[in-house]
Amino acid sequence: MLTILYGGLAALLLHVTPTVELVKRVDVVRQIFPAADAWFERELHLSDPDAHKLHEAVDWSPEDGVLRFYTGKHAGAPVGALIFVRVDSPHGPLEVAVGFTTDGAVARVVVTKATVETKPWVLSAVRAGLCEHYKGIRPGAVPRAAEQIRAVAGQLPTYMGEQIDKGVQRALVAYADFYK
Amino acid sequence: MLYDLRHADTRLKWLVTCLLATFGWAYLFGAWMVGVYAGFGPKQVAQTYAGPAMHMAMPPDTTVVVEHPLTMGQLAAEDHHAVDLDLLIQDTHVHVPMYGVIAAVLSLVVLGLALPRNAGLALITLLFAAPWLDFAGMWLVKLVSPAFAIVTVAGGWAMGVAYTIVTVIAVRRMWFGRQGAA
Repeated sequence: MLTILYGGLAALLLHVTPTVELVKRVDVVRQIFPAADAWFERELHLSDPDAHKLHEAVDWSPEDGVLRFYTGKHAGAPVGALIFVRVDSPHGPLEVAVGFTTDGAVARVVVTKATVETKPWVLSAVRAGLCEHYKGIRPGAVPRAAEQIRAVAGQLPTYMGEQIDKGVQRALVAYADFYK
Repeated sequence: MLYDLRHADTRLKWLVTCLLATFGWAYLFGAWMVGVYAGFGPKQVAQTYAGPAMHMAMPPDTTVVVEHPLTMGQLAAEDHHAVDLDLLIQDTHVHVPMYGVIAAVLSLVVLGLALPRNAGLALITLLFAAPWLDFAGMWLVKLVSPAFAIVTVAGGWAMGVAYTIVTVIAVRRMWFGRQGAA
């Protein structure tokens, strides 16, 4: 009986609520690189070994095995690139947009999707300044922004911050290893 | 048949009327939600549900890079709400039982309307077939071909039509019918 009760409780706790769009992709692109006057989509159709390498590095397989970077240019010169990364948490998926400057540092991070359940935690984390801590991070570094907000944001926003850390880490590795 | 809403106590008629009004309210918001997240035409439905399952190409031997210009309009189009396999599993799990309960409750109303046997059978079948078609279409679009979006569109409209038929007949028979009629 207890097993059934715990099973039901687990099912209730793990029940995923619908996805909520926090910021439209097109708005993110404009926010991260406002100077860009032209955009290019760079698709990297990963080979099996590369897909495996990425999965081993950051426990992530992009949808369809395709990494999609969006490169912004101004007067023909690149101003940066960004990638949207999905992270599946036990409370449902979230999506993070990570923008890079031309020298490879993180320019800005925006959380674009959460779920009905996680939205308040994500917004609390963002209000606590989570995304500011990613600025300037370079590939090779391990993002630990969640730790920076723990004292002010509380447990669940910090937990979502750890998921966002994971998304940024995936973007850093994908950018360093595949954006050419 | 003993159960006949035409001759039912006013309290039962009021209960059924409130139930139908509540379902109608829910259906209106359901239609609004469909308009926001999917659209009413087969093309928009296919765009919502087909998604990545349409691209099942084998991975290349070496990583292939393709770059092409992108307009803001194209990027905005990528914002179209898409239902991936995981979300469709979740949607099916959440919606199908509730659709079954709604169809069953509306079928109970149909049973009390003293319709001819075949008309009753047809209406009950339509009430259940509509959500079946709705979700069958979504899965066929996801797994077989975007052309099956028409099945989802047909299922959605069938749901609205079935509800309207039940409501119109029920309200007419409960409140505007001749009380003495058998």
